[in-house]
Amino acid sequence: MMSPMIDVRNLHKTFGSVQALDGVSLTVGTGEVVCVIGPSGSGKSTLLRCINFLEEPTSGIVSVGGHRVGYVGDGTHARRMRGRELAAMRAEIGMVFQLFYLWPHITALENVMLGLTEVRGLTARAAADQARALMHKVGLGDKMTAFPEHLSGGQRQRVAIARALAMEPKVMLFDEPTSALDPELVGEVLQVMEQVAQEGMTMMVATHEMGFARRVADRVVFMDRGRIVESGTPDELFDRPREERTRRFLEKILS
Amino acid sequence: MNIDFSTALPYIPVLIKAAGFTILLTLTSQFFGTVLGFFLALGRMSRFGGLRWAVWLYVWVFRGTPMLLHLFFIYYAAPLFGLTLDAIPAAIIAMSLSSCAYNCEIIRSGLQAVHHGQVEAARAVGMTYPRIVRRIVLPQAVRIIIPPYMSNFITHTKNSSLASVVTVPEIMLTAQTIANSTYRVIEILTLAGVLYLFLTSCLTWLQLWMEKRTAYEQRTLTLRRRRQLGLEPA
Repeated sequence: MMSPMIDVRNLHKTFGSVQALDGVSLTVGTGEVVCVIGPSGSGKSTLLRCINFLEEPTSGIVSVGGHRVGYVGDGTHARRMRGRELAAMRAEIGMVFQLFYLWPHITALENVMLGLTEVRGLTARAAADQARALMHKVGLGDKMTAFPEHLSGGQRQRVAIARALAMEPKVMLFDEPTSALDPELVGEVLQVMEQVAQEGMTMMVATHEMGFARRVADRVVFMDRGRIVESGTPDELFDRPREERTRRFLEKILS
Repeated sequence: MNIDFSTALPYIPVLIKAAGFTILLTLTSQFFGTVLGFFLALGRMSRFGGLRWAVWLYVWVFRGTPMLLHLFFIYYAAPLFGLTLDAIPAAIIAMSLSSCAYNCEIIRSGLQAVHHGQVEAARAVGMTYPRIVRRIVLPQAVRIIIPPYMSNFITHTKNSSLASVVTVPEIMLTAQTIANSTYRVIEILTLAGVLYLFLTSCLTWLQLWMEKRTAYEQRTLTLRRRRQLGLEPA
């Protein structure tokens, strides 16, 4: 068993009267790729957002790289992180959003650079060197000076991936990265993600792309109503699901 | 009644000097009103309920009452509290207090118009709140803020004429004084109107220039920046 990079224990999250996460426990080993599947509203996004503390868990513990997320210290002595501490923690956790959220007022290259200059304190020149390399890596060497609104959805999402990778995070979280894309643009984004996975990045991917999950994931987790219904290798989960709920979901989505 | 500018024209230098006071009042109070308004806007969006409420109360009072009243209060009522102010500082204070109530709301609406996802993306790469405001929110908010902000600036410039009631020798008071001694009311007021129009035209032009400067879709990187980013041989 690989050492756990992400450790989620008995995580609960409620929004008002809505129970978004209802006791989720899960570990992700270093270099492991876990795809989280499930119907809309099943809690996939909330789970990912709790891992980098964009959502504050109602109860339960999340750790990344052996450090508790959002808190300093252990057990009863734990106190909530302050702004600066939270920011430093988030810099180690890359996140890619469904709607990209590129910053529209700066070029693609500057989007990739900004974390390096603002958070890591690199000079513009040094940051640009790294950012250019990443832009080539995601296949956008010719779009460095393009503004986000002049890029296609697939290109935007690849810039967003490069932006997250620039921070050299320990893990990458992908929150339905292809759900907002035209079907013909999905492939280019999945291809970049597959490449990142092959380089050994620890990844959690909330997705509806079953082909990608089967091909790339080490493990697939099926969620419904804020709980993990079952998890297993892609072959186990897709070909021999144990739970009736999983079977019904797969029938619907694969037909 | 005949129109005759021959008596009025020699007073142009006097009116231009008066315009200097109008400019002084407007620029200083707009400056303080903008800086204060920015922090009030942040306060209005704060997660601390008490602060939000205090700012709301401030805006409610100062936007809901005429600036004429603020001028009277600061100039005539302040001595009752042991504070005697000259006309110009009193006018600048009153106009700043009024201006920042409007600017607070204008700036807040601009800051809030920036999509929440933009901020989340910045948090996700590990940026701290002050950096997010400076690098992500403000550059996008500024272009949303400019048109209403400049409209308010123009209104504020014209409203500086109210400072005449507390004896600041700005354009309106000076024009009235000249008119009273020369009986050339129409001519003098026309000249005053031309001066105001000149001042507000400058602001209109400034607005166009600022809108162009902040239209980031049309931005191209300067050669210096391209070199810095390694896109152009140094």
